[in-house]
Amino acid sequence: MVLLRRRGIVRLTACAMLAFAGRSNAQSPGESRLKVELISDQAKSSPGQPLWVGVLFRLEQGWHIYWQNPGDSGEPPKVQWDLPTGFVAGSIRWPQPIRLGSGSVVDYGYEGQVLLMAPIRGSSSRNATSLPSLSADVKYIVCRDMCIPGKAHITLSGPAGGDWAAWHALFEQTRAQLPRPAPASWKVTAVSDKQHFILSVEARPQAPGASFFPLEPSQIDNSGPQDFAPTQNGFRLTLKKSDQLTKPISTLRGLIVLGPGRAFEVAAPITSR
Amino acid sequence: MRKRLAAITVLGFTLVAFSIAWAARVGESAPEFTATDTNGQIHKLSEYQGKFVVLEWTNRGCPYTQKHYNSGNMQRLQRDWTSRGVVWLTVVSSAPGKQGYVTASEENAYLKQANAAPTAVLLDPAGTLGHLYDAKTTPHIFIIDPKGALIYNGAIDDRPTTDVSDVNGAKNYVSIALEEATSGKPVSNPTTRPYGCSVKYAD
Repeated sequence: MVLLRRRGIVRLTACAMLAFAGRSNAQSPGESRLKVELISDQAKSSPGQPLWVGVLFRLEQGWHIYWQNPGDSGEPPKVQWDLPTGFVAGSIRWPQPIRLGSGSVVDYGYEGQVLLMAPIRGSSSRNATSLPSLSADVKYIVCRDMCIPGKAHITLSGPAGGDWAAWHALFEQTRAQLPRPAPASWKVTAVSDKQHFILSVEARPQAPGASFFPLEPSQIDNSGPQDFAPTQNGFRLTLKKSDQLTKPISTLRGLIVLGPGRAFEVAAPITSR
Repeated sequence: MRKRLAAITVLGFTLVAFSIAWAARVGESAPEFTATDTNGQIHKLSEYQGKFVVLEWTNRGCPYTQKHYNSGNMQRLQRDWTSRGVVWLTVVSSAPGKQGYVTASEENAYLKQANAAPTAVLLDPAGTLGHLYDAKTTPHIFIIDPKGALIYNGAIDDRPTTDVSDVNGAKNYVSIALEEATSGKPVSNPTTRPYGCSVKYAD
């Protein structure tokens, strides 16, 4: 923004005014649409054990942020950890997303509150008992009927009033929403025809319904119908291929969701028909 | 969907319905359209046979669109390619009451202020053109060759962010596709994933 010439600034102001015309609360930046905080599962790290930390987003009603595959629009939040020497962060565990939007543009993301948690590990020689000094730079885009980009520098400083139980509860709630590996008894395969992937899941007991969330963009048509059909040993989901899919793929990765707290990671080998 | 079903019930429109369903596929004929620009002039795709046509979906309230206009990137592309004979049609598919909806005079004032240089801006408040091409995001770019075939469908570049600082150094798919196509080569990356805000269609 600093680099903008005068004309650019005038233009930006005009854009903002027009974009927000008729909205009394509209000139607020992205931060007013959500609160973002760095929290941890425990008051101290235990030697040899990872300390779970997380970026907690609390969104105003109607606003959303995005899953690791955002779907047709938007982008996932990006977290850049700033850790003491000797500490490393594992990957973010993305909770089960919801399908957002309707019509021809469909996204995957979160409304309300979401915790993006990751394990932090210290060097084994370190006898860490107190909370390490951690911070993170977070970039995100928050959308409703409009999108607002935002960023935050957040530091781990402990819960208000020392209420560690409240923070721990948020981690426990989130763990219950994390996708799990598909049960070993499941057999998941996919058949590719010209316009569809037909995902077959052999699973007991019979599920009354299921939906698929693709891990990679540009594989399935996000706004396409997902036709569910019970089969003798499980069910079948017929997914429309994305117009952006130009090369054959050998595996379809994503989540099979049977209900809240029941998201399963699958990697279906694809055979052509 | 409702629209498509309605079309199917009228036998004569069955073909139209199918062309909508499989509209903007690279390598196939780009769907014909008729649309009105901000000066009241009517544009038909078929009138531009013999020229390359770029369709650029826009919403000036969208931070991804702003990235390319505030940096001057989009205006530069428009100027560069229209000066080389390319027809550049910017499309606004925001519905009335939705972000990015503009009247003709508002858009004309903005074009002047932004120093933008498309051939024309098509107003599509009903989303007809947007749905015909299945435009998903702002920006979302389509390129049509002089024979009327769709040769590019996707993003403006390879940096799906709102950061103005990402414009420099990005791989601009639109310029690359036009450079290749105007020198008679096949487009090396004809389909990419568009990124941006969702197009603000009517509910």
